Amino acid sequence: MADLLSVENLSAGYGRAVVLSDVAFALGEGEALAVLGRNGVGKTTLLDTLVGVTRRFAGSIALGGREVGTLAPEMRAGLGVGWVPQERNIFRSLSVEENLTAVARPGPWTIERVFGLFPRLKERARQSGGSLSGGEQQMLAIGRALATNPRLLLLDEPTEGLAPIIVQELLAALTRLLREEKLAAIIVEQHAQKILPITQRALILERGRIVHQSESAALLADPAPLERFLGVTGR
Amino acid sequence: MPSGTLLGQALISGVLAGGMYGLLALGLSLSWGLLRLVNLSHFALAFLAAYLTYELGTTYHVAPWWAAAMVVPVMLMIGLAQHWLFDRFKVNELASLLITFSFAVILEVAIQLYWTADYRRFETHYSTMSIKVGAFYIPVLELALCMVAGVLAWGTWLWLRKTYVGKALRAAAEDADIAAAYGVDHKKLAYLLSGMGAAYAAIAGTFIALIATLAPAQIWAWLGVVFAVVIIGRLGNPLGALLAGMLIGASESIAMAIFAPAWAPVVSFSVLIAILLWDPEWL
Amino acid sequence: MNHRMGAWRRRHVLGGFVGLAALGAPAIVRAAPSGAPVRVGGTLSLTGFLAQTAIIHKIAAEIMVEDINSRNGFIGRPVEYIMLDDQSKPDVARSLYEKLITVDKVDLIMGPYATAPILAAMGVAQRYGKVMIQSSMGIPHLQTYDMAFPATPFGPEPDKTYPNVILDAMASLPTPPKSMVIVTSKFPSAQFMAKGMRLEAEKRGVKVPLYLEYEAGNRDFGAIAARVKEANADFLWVGSLGLESNQLLEALRKLDYTPKTSFHLYPAPGPLALSPDGNLVWCSTFLEPDEPFMSRPGMKKIAELYKERATKANLPYAIIDAQAAGMVAAWQILEAGVNGAKSLEDKQIAAWLKKNVVTTVYGPTKFDGLYNHGEPAQLIRQVQDKKWKVVWPKQFVAPGVKLIAT
Repeated sequence: MADLLSVENLSAGYGRAVVLSDVAFALGEGEALAVLGRNGVGKTTLLDTLVGVTRRFAGSIALGGREVGTLAPEMRAGLGVGWVPQERNIFRSLSVEENLTAVARPGPWTIERVFGLFPRLKERARQSGGSLSGGEQQMLAIGRALATNPRLLLLDEPTEGLAPIIVQELLAALTRLLREEKLAAIIVEQHAQKILPITQRALILERGRIVHQSESAALLADPAPLERFLGVTGR
Repeated sequence: MPSGTLLGQALISGVLAGGMYGLLALGLSLSWGLLRLVNLSHFALAFLAAYLTYELGTTYHVAPWWAAAMVVPVMLMIGLAQHWLFDRFKVNELASLLITFSFAVILEVAIQLYWTADYRRFETHYSTMSIKVGAFYIPVLELALCMVAGVLAWGTWLWLRKTYVGKALRAAAEDADIAAAYGVDHKKLAYLLSGMGAAYAAIAGTFIALIATLAPAQIWAWLGVVFAVVIIGRLGNPLGALLAGMLIGASESIAMAIFAPAWAPVVSFSVLIAILLWDPEWL
Repeated sequence: MNHRMGAWRRRHVLGGFVGLAALGAPAIVRAAPSGAPVRVGGTLSLTGFLAQTAIIHKIAAEIMVEDINSRNGFIGRPVEYIMLDDQSKPDVARSLYEKLITVDKVDLIMGPYATAPILAAMGVAQRYGKVMIQSSMGIPHLQTYDMAFPATPFGPEPDKTYPNVILDAMASLPTPPKSMVIVTSKFPSAQFMAKGMRLEAEKRGVKVPLYLEYEAGNRDFGAIAARVKEANADFLWVGSLGLESNQLLEALRKLDYTPKTSFHLYPAPGPLALSPDGNLVWCSTFLEPDEPFMSRPGMKKIAELYKERATKANLPYAIIDAQAAGMVAAWQILEAGVNGAKSLEDKQIAAWLKKNVVTTVYGPTKFDGLYNHGEPAQLIRQVQDKKWKVVWPKQFVAPGVKLIAT
């Protein structure tokens, strides 16, 4: 099967600072990739580089066989990159529904389907984005990315700072997206145990470099790399 | 104490005069609120449109609405050209203030070169027409102005609220980078909005030609009050701009009727300061 | 010859020699001015909020410089007018006069127009002891410098004298107005006259039920019109500038109200005469291109030249009126002063002016009264058939013309 995303020799950062060095990995259609690592190792920079909001120093990013590394963010979005930023960055002055419709593109993910995935958003459709709770904002951020009908969904620490009950709800929705809808995704997480079960593949970053790549199942079976690079096991 | 007739008449003429503030504020509010560009040349564009309407009307006897139909596309092109400059030189909010100020001064000089500094007045028989309702007189031109301003403000409000483009614009105004990452082409939308702003200036200009006195230095006469209106009406809110315009117009007029006419210029800023101090939720 | 002239002569030996010859024997070179030009510096508000009338003053000044040069120039030397733009700003006027006197070293200065720039320039003129003729300051008591001379015959106290001219004209009407509404701009010269009008009217038993002041640059006259209508007096006195009178009359008509008789202080003459609201309104003036004014020396030619140039400059109102005539008179006074004193020395020019009578387009003008003013000669004109006609006082009314009652 041809790769949906193919990243080679990628170096990127902000201003003159190089954060990512020589990163290479590939992702097939319908595959989900977990990006693991400690704080500040470059996980978010990797997603931001795929979106196009960092400075790329070298390397290539191919989406569906087309080089997108040189394109502006709005062009990449048009080609199917859907982003759920770490800060969520929902449009606070727009209503929940407007957050979705402002960026919506035709495709299987209609607004109604997004509401079906997150019924809480439907209840709050007319409220302003700024009035939502943290968990609801996260749902909206995911829903907004889905509304663009992406080929590849990029999720940056989707459960960060949320109450356990909301985390459960979100993980259930993500499971549905990845398992049933077969949406290709890259999920950045610190807590490996939360996402390894729902992804096929995993990689671990350390100081901007990939230090481990394997099947997610393999990491679950043998958590030694997790202990070594993340210093944790059973969380 | 002034009579009820006097107060009612003052209120009517004030609200209607406020329609002009609202109409001028509309384009300014859009570009300031949604593009973060403070376009001082908006007033100069409106006056250029007014002079063109005057010229078409007096020299070629073109009816004002046909003049508007001709002037609006011209101003639209000027607005697009101006935005090309903003885009080309990556102008920010403060720089836009300085650049558009210079642009306004250049336009003022150009207008003076062609039309001289002398006062110009486009006399039409509409200018003194009014409808009598009970004890009150409603001037026809100002009423038409308010209706046009109302349609534009309402239409723009709906457009921003209901269409993809409008919502994308509002999203981009809040966070242009994030909006871009979701596929919003902010640059194209910005051109559209700048063009629209200039077209609104042209429509305002047509009414300025019919209602007000033309002199190059008059470009600056509306600046203070319209800025107050834009802020009271909330940046980027077309209906707010119109309502704020009418509020200021009515306040000025009532102040003129009850106290002294010379108080009028103080009114707009007093209302602005009072509202800023009050800090209501809608602001 | 003063020091400044001496320094100047060292740089222009030949020209200076001719100039000296002209000074010594004006009769010899009387036929046409020759030699180094006499440089006269001044500013006009070519841009900014006073710019409406600058072009009028500019045209009038240029006509006069040519006119003077076609005769004898200034003591036989050609006149050169160095005109700068003060942007309607007093501080700019101040520094430009400073520059004209100290850097450009002009021989003489000509005043700017409008009260604020005139006051600014007067301060500089006083510091350097220059004679300053000003064309248009409507508040004579502000002219405190003893070598400043007014070109326009307001008289020393126009706020007392001119209201009585108006009251006399009112009294001559078949039904003399008994009440008067006064509406005035807060522009200083208008407000000054409006205050005087109220005082003099009340002294003579004309009631003033409503006195309103509005800010210069007032945009909406709707509320003011509503108050004027409600007061419904026999006479409306408007201390207007520019198009304010047109705007007020229009606003009144929107309320279906036409004032019985109205007077307008300093409106733009063209638009008011042509407006349907302007028919038979009164206005202040000092002359019109009509008899007896056209019989004054030089007036006919100047009026024709003015019309020609103003038309060419695309001015909507190309007829000479008090604005332009003020500038004409200012140059006539300077010409008379220099040639009368036979000197470019400011003190001698001033002394000559105070002792003599100068005949300008405004008639015989004296400078021996309070604030260097002579007799007042402010008149009343009325729009008749879309033209301005002087209608009061009677000795200035052209044959066949009379004040039409409304």
